[in-house]
Amino acid sequence: MPSLLKFATHLRANLAPCQSRAVNRHCRTAVAVLKFQIIMLTARRLLDEIKSLSITHVVGLPDNSTAALFTLLALEKEIQLITVTREGEAFAVAAGLWMGGAKPLVVIQNTGLLESGDALRGTLTRMRLPVVCLISYRGFKSLPESRSQDLSAEELSRRDVDSVALLLEPTLKAWGLPFELPTENAMLEKLRAAFSLAEDEMRPRAVVLTDALR
Amino acid sequence: MLTQSDFLEPLARRRTNEIVIPTMSLVRAWGRLSKHEFDFAFADSAMGHAQSLALGLALAQPARRVLCLNGDGSMLMSLGSLVTIAQCAPKNLILFIAQNNTYEVTGNQQIPGAGIVDFAALARASGFPHAFHFDDAAQYEAALGSILTLNGPTLVAVRIQPGAEQPPNRREREDAPYLRRSIADSAHRLRSALFSNASPRS
Repeated sequence: MPSLLKFATHLRANLAPCQSRAVNRHCRTAVAVLKFQIIMLTARRLLDEIKSLSITHVVGLPDNSTAALFTLLALEKEIQLITVTREGEAFAVAAGLWMGGAKPLVVIQNTGLLESGDALRGTLTRMRLPVVCLISYRGFKSLPESRSQDLSAEELSRRDVDSVALLLEPTLKAWGLPFELPTENAMLEKLRAAFSLAEDEMRPRAVVLTDALR
Repeated sequence: MLTQSDFLEPLARRRTNEIVIPTMSLVRAWGRLSKHEFDFAFADSAMGHAQSLALGLALAQPARRVLCLNGDGSMLMSLGSLVTIAQCAPKNLILFIAQNNTYEVTGNQQIPGAGIVDFAALARASGFPHAFHFDDAAQYEAALGSILTLNGPTLVAVRIQPGAEQPPNRREREDAPYLRRSIADSAHRLRSALFSNASPRS
C-alpha cells in the first residue's frame, strides 16, 4: 500500500499538472483514498498483524464489527479459525490451546463477554494464562458524552443508549481483566503490547475495538 | 448400570501417555487411580467447560490423545460445545460422559432430562463420527480398547450409579497430588510437561 501511495503521489506531482482538470481531480481522489486506507484499521491489516504475532488460532464469534476479519480468517491457511457456539466456550478452548503450546487470540463481542463471565474467571484468569481477547464494543457510539457512574435502572433502560456499552468497562474492571481502549490508529500497536504485557504478567488481557473493521 | 470403578479402572489400566482431564465427581476418583504428569484436574475452574479445554489441548497437541472425563450435569451446561468439537473434528479427542443423572457433588439432585437425554444421539446429530452408550460393565470393558484407537472425535456415555463425592477442592490435605496445587500451577505444569515430553506435532 505505501508504494501505491507513493506512485499516486508521484503521478499527481508530475503528470496531473500537465493534464486536464478531471485527471488532476482523479489523482487527488486516489491519493486521498489511499491515505485513508493506510490510516483506517482494515480487517486485512489486523490479520497481517495477527500473523506477525505468530497467532496460531483465533477463537470466537463474529459480530458486525469483526465480520470482515472472520471472513478473511475462513480463507486463511496459516491460522486456524475456531468458531464457537457461545462465547464462554472460547475462553476454555483458548486455555486448552495455550496449555498445549499454541498461541490463541479470542475475538468476541461485548455482549458475549457478559455471557461468559464464569468461563473467563475459571479458565484464563484463574489459571493465569497470557491470552489476549479482542472485544468489540457494541454501542460505543451511543454512549452519552458525560456518562453517569451510576448504573441506574433509568440509565440501563434508556432507548438511545445501548446498555451493553454502559456495562462493558465496569464489567472488565470488576472481573479483573486489564484492557486497552485504543484509537483506531493505535489498535495494532496496542494489540502487540497486550500480548507482551500478558506474557510478562502471566494473565489475560483485553483490547477493545470501538470501530467496525472494513 | 456401572459403578464408578467399573467406569474408571479399565480406563486407568489402558491409559499410556494420554492427557486426561477429569472434572467434578470424577476428579478425586481419577486421582486415586492415577498420578500421571499428564493428568489435569478441571477443578476450581468453570463448570461446563472441561470439554472445551480438552478441545483446545487436542488441537494444539494433535499427536497425543486427550481424554475428557465429564459429568452429565456439566455436559448439559454447554451442549453447543458438541457442535464446536464436531466442527473442529480433532481425531485425538475422546469425550467420556459419566451419566449418573444427578448433580452428585451437591447431594445428587436430579439433572434436567434425567433418564431421557441421550448423549450418544446428541453427539451423532452434532456430527461426531463415533458415539457410544454403555450401561453394562462387561460390554464397556470389551469395547474400550478399540474405542481408544478410533479416529475421533468420539463420545462415550457410560451409565453409572450415583455416588457420594464431595465437591473437589484444592488444598494441602487432598489425597490426590494434583489437587494439592493451584489450578494455575497445574495448568503451567501440564504445558511444561508436554514440552519436555514433546512428541512430533503433526
